[in-house]
Amino acid sequence: MQGLLLKLEPLIWLVFGQGIMLGTILLTGWLLVVGVAAPLGLVEPLGYERAHALGSNLIGRLVLFALIVLPLWKGAHHTRHISIDMGGGDRDAAVAPLLYALAGFGTLLAALAVIRL
Amino acid sequence: MGRPAHPQAMAPSRPGSTRTAPPELPGQFPFAGRYRGYTLFAWTGVLYLLLGFLVLRVVWALGESPQAFDSVIASFRNPLYIVFHLLALVGVCFVAVRFFWLFPKAQPPRIGPAKPPPQPVILAMLYGLWIGVTLLLSAILAGVLF
Amino acid sequence: MSEQQKKTFVVTRFDPDVDEVPKTQSYKIPVEPDWKVLDALNFIKDNVDATLSHRWSCRMAVCGSCGMMVDGEPKLTCKDALSDYGDTVEIAPLANFPVIRDLVVELEGFMEKFQSVKPWVIRAKELAVEEGTTRQSPEELAEFKQFSMCINCMLCYSACPVVANEPHFLGPAAIALGHRYNLDSRDEGAEERNEVFRGEGTVFSCSFANECSEVCPKNVDPAAAVNQAKFNAVIDWAVGLVLPRGGK
Repeated sequence: MQGLLLKLEPLIWLVFGQGIMLGTILLTGWLLVVGVAAPLGLVEPLGYERAHALGSNLIGRLVLFALIVLPLWKGAHHTRHISIDMGGGDRDAAVAPLLYALAGFGTLLAALAVIRL
Repeated sequence: MGRPAHPQAMAPSRPGSTRTAPPELPGQFPFAGRYRGYTLFAWTGVLYLLLGFLVLRVVWALGESPQAFDSVIASFRNPLYIVFHLLALVGVCFVAVRFFWLFPKAQPPRIGPAKPPPQPVILAMLYGLWIGVTLLLSAILAGVLF
Repeated sequence: MSEQQKKTFVVTRFDPDVDEVPKTQSYKIPVEPDWKVLDALNFIKDNVDATLSHRWSCRMAVCGSCGMMVDGEPKLTCKDALSDYGDTVEIAPLANFPVIRDLVVELEGFMEKFQSVKPWVIRAKELAVEEGTTRQSPEELAEFKQFSMCINCMLCYSACPVVANEPHFLGPAAIALGHRYNLDSRDEGAEERNEVFRGEGTVFSCSFANECSEVCPKNVDPAAAVNQAKFNAVIDWAVGLVLPRGGK
């Protein structure tokens, strides 16, 4: 398991890096509107027709996929670091696969979700 | 004394000729001094996991039915959700600022013949990208564009 | 005539022949306004308690010997002005290291990590003496010079949360030095070093806390080196997927 983790680490780090950068950049607009402005009545909330039209074209699907997947991998990787920082260096070989599996599961669901649109 | 670090931290492969006292963590780790910023940064990992699954919930509902989607969007009007999203927005902005502070120095001085731009330029590009994409996505989601 | 200022030093003591665990001992001594922390320790050893053990040498922040935790932060005691501290100063051995005695820590673990990154110029084929010296432009030197300024004081290891929890992690100074050689235009050993960087001591363990760079007394910025090394290791890995190395 340790060997597999070492082999996959460059890829995980790349996705995690984009999770921080692109994920953060995309999440800001999403949270501003969908999370705060629309619920507070400052802007019209997304209606189904418009949301479906936006989300079901190719760019929309890619953006929505990125909005889900990039934060998941950033989250999993940083949560792994939290575990290590809290004294979990020795249990990392067990904790890391669980967290990455969670992100992987979310990635699969995200792919399904955008394909279904 | 202080809190213990990993018992094998910085240990040599063969023990020395005398007994050593076990290594200790730096006293300020993890919640004091400069470590506070780093620990907060790491803990946004939990926030991002939650946010990823939350966006998934919205997109899944969008593919389910108009009623499912409208129901999820309506649920965001709950004050608890609004507070969570506000705190999440603060958290995401904190991640951006800290990451943009660190990112320029992580660029290698050269990849083959190509050199990265000077650090102030990288910083300007990052903030420009963040503000630009946020404005664009906000305009689209708010119905101002497209 | 004004009374000379006094400060109390709470110093960690550990004698492996006598003590189960480290303990502290307090010394209240007169101090001079221009003293560094090291001057106080030397005064204690010379005038109060000759059994106090601590490392020091150059007194000018180039040898890296005198690193200790001062009021909970890793510092070079020869560089740190005593006037920056209050009436009570806590001095402990460097965090994250096993302690041999008092303020003296075990360095062999670092030496092993240090050697593992092959911190020397590696050439596929050595130049013959008759071929003359290898030329290096100021621009080529500038690419790695910052990372060559490390004095191996190990304050960065004391500050690093990953070093504290992952014994195999190579650590800031070792990776910075390996990266220094990877960037050196004379060096041809990047492939070998990147294998070490992606091995058990993996550079990817670094969580970019940046504490190492905050405490570095020589502005080496090891955090920059480690994260640049990650980038290079990724490129190496990606190239290796497409063009597998043969004959290794």
